[in-house]
Amino acid sequence: MLQHGPLLERLLAGDFICKITDEDAYRHLSQEQTQQDINHYLRPLNRRLVSNDDNSLYFLGYHELNKDAREHLSSQFALTVQSLLPLLEWLQLVQETLGRDSALTAGDTIKLQEFVLRTEDNQSLRQRLSQLAGDRFFNSQSEQVDSQVKQIFRRLKEHGYLLQPHVERQYYIVTGKIDYLIDVIRFIRDEEHLPVDDTPTQEAMF
Amino acid sequence: MASLDANNTASNLFSIGAERLALLGKHHKLLMQGYIDGFIDENAFTDVALKKLIASRILWRPDEQQPLALRPLVSELIASMVADENRRQINADVAEKLEQIRNRVQAYRDAQYKGDFSVAELQLQRLTEHVHDLSGQFEEAIDSLWHRLNSDFGFVSSLDDKIRENERAQKQLRRLLDGLDLLDFNELIELSEGNNHLRKLLVSQLQSQLSSHHSSLLEVQKRLVELLARFRQQQSRAMLIANMAAFLRQHPKYRPADYPNRSDVPSLFNQAAAIQPQAAIALDKASERQVLAGLVRALPRHQAVVLTDTQSASFSSLLVDDEIAARQQALKTDVENFYLRVIDQGCSLSALDYLATQQLSWDSEIWLYQIIAEYQALPVDEKQMFAVVREETKASAFNELLLIRDINIGLQVA
Repeated sequence: MLQHGPLLERLLAGDFICKITDEDAYRHLSQEQTQQDINHYLRPLNRRLVSNDDNSLYFLGYHELNKDAREHLSSQFALTVQSLLPLLEWLQLVQETLGRDSALTAGDTIKLQEFVLRTEDNQSLRQRLSQLAGDRFFNSQSEQVDSQVKQIFRRLKEHGYLLQPHVERQYYIVTGKIDYLIDVIRFIRDEEHLPVDDTPTQEAMF
Repeated sequence: MASLDANNTASNLFSIGAERLALLGKHHKLLMQGYIDGFIDENAFTDVALKKLIASRILWRPDEQQPLALRPLVSELIASMVADENRRQINADVAEKLEQIRNRVQAYRDAQYKGDFSVAELQLQRLTEHVHDLSGQFEEAIDSLWHRLNSDFGFVSSLDDKIRENERAQKQLRRLLDGLDLLDFNELIELSEGNNHLRKLLVSQLQSQLSSHHSSLLEVQKRLVELLARFRQQQSRAMLIANMAAFLRQHPKYRPADYPNRSDVPSLFNQAAAIQPQAAIALDKASERQVLAGLVRALPRHQAVVLTDTQSASFSSLLVDDEIAARQQALKTDVENFYLRVIDQGCSLSALDYLATQQLSWDSEIWLYQIIAEYQALPVDEKQMFAVVREETKASAFNELLLIRDINIGLQVA
């Protein structure tokens, strides 16, 4: 258990561990023995290891759902629901701004400067950016494209969706938490039978 | 005679071929431009050059109305040389090649039977070429498939196109595999029976090459299927994002069910609160005292901050201005002189008259105020010495407010 000290600390702090954020830790967590050890260790703290469906990321959940736990989960869930639309809009905006042919996935790199340059040149992108930046999830008060983008990226970093490998260099790597977001959306869609399609129709394909 | 003819044809063939290849080289830039544009800019060539290129079967006019273009085989050659996956052709036709191989084997055997060894030699040469062609055809196809795979189908831009290209590649691959199935090694063994050359060419060499092609193709197929699955996943993710965002925009009040309070909370939403481990200095381990002492010594020393007295702002402090004070003093002096005059004259004196006769510059209102103020400031017994008569008028006919117009001051007759 001693060797997993730093990993436990990150997990307890609420970090999501995936291949991008910490490859070694992720590899350890993929082993069943380590999972058991960690769960055993966390038992008195009422915590346990949780992973998403395809085991691409790990985080801590409650072992037993007492009243406090449920209260925390409720407020957490409210925040998650509130952040859905701004995050989805950000994903779309990045995809369109950078002219990518597919949605962002874990491991993709985004250069902040490129994003700023392309946005500045395009009136409609600028408008969408500033609307998004003003959303209370990102909460930017600025009128400048540059600082709006910086604020958005900073918030996404805080929330664990982006990783900034070098503090002084403005490029970011998308973490596995983006997969978590997609899982959440898919779950809500399936659970509530929302009319949200994700299989391309034949017409779209041919 | 026959061999002389063959020699003639061969030398003729050589000179024509070399000439035409040189023609390709001579116009390389314009022809390459034609490959990219899909048609030839006829103005860039001289008439003679155009005629030569057409006669050499390098250019052709597909239709009366159409501009000149490269012949398909020339385009194909370029596509294969530069690995242009948009235009590269894959030839999966194995049956035709097999037929040719069978015929050549037959011709070779016939010539041998007749004892015509030079013809037999030539047939064996052609047969070798066909066998190499067959193998090369697979090699080229596999190279093209790997190339497309490794570039993630980067030669087309949209995800939909990539999916279509991937599906096309998979169809080509199936045709290639079907082609390989046509090759029956028992037949080849039979064909080469009793001849070492043939056995070496058709059995050992071809067989080992084709079996390695077969395994390459299976590997490519596996990778293509994986890549297609990834493309589809990306496509579905992009659609999910777009459609969910659209749904949430259309239904701003939408709230999902209260999952955290279900009896069985979905693990996705079971995200525990953070715990930050804290530690403090403990003195229970004697061995660590030294370290602690070091830490304490390393603490930055507290330095008393000396607060200097600073003038604090106060709202009650009087504004002292030398110039204003001097004027105030001058007014006071003038008013005192007025009172002295009253005492000197011993009779009642109008304040405004005095102001006018002395030609003093004070505003009349300020003058009257100061006279009243001076009077009020006097001790009670001295006040009694003066008789103050205020000349007053009503502010208006309807207003009982009395305004002081002038003041007459005289000595009180005791």
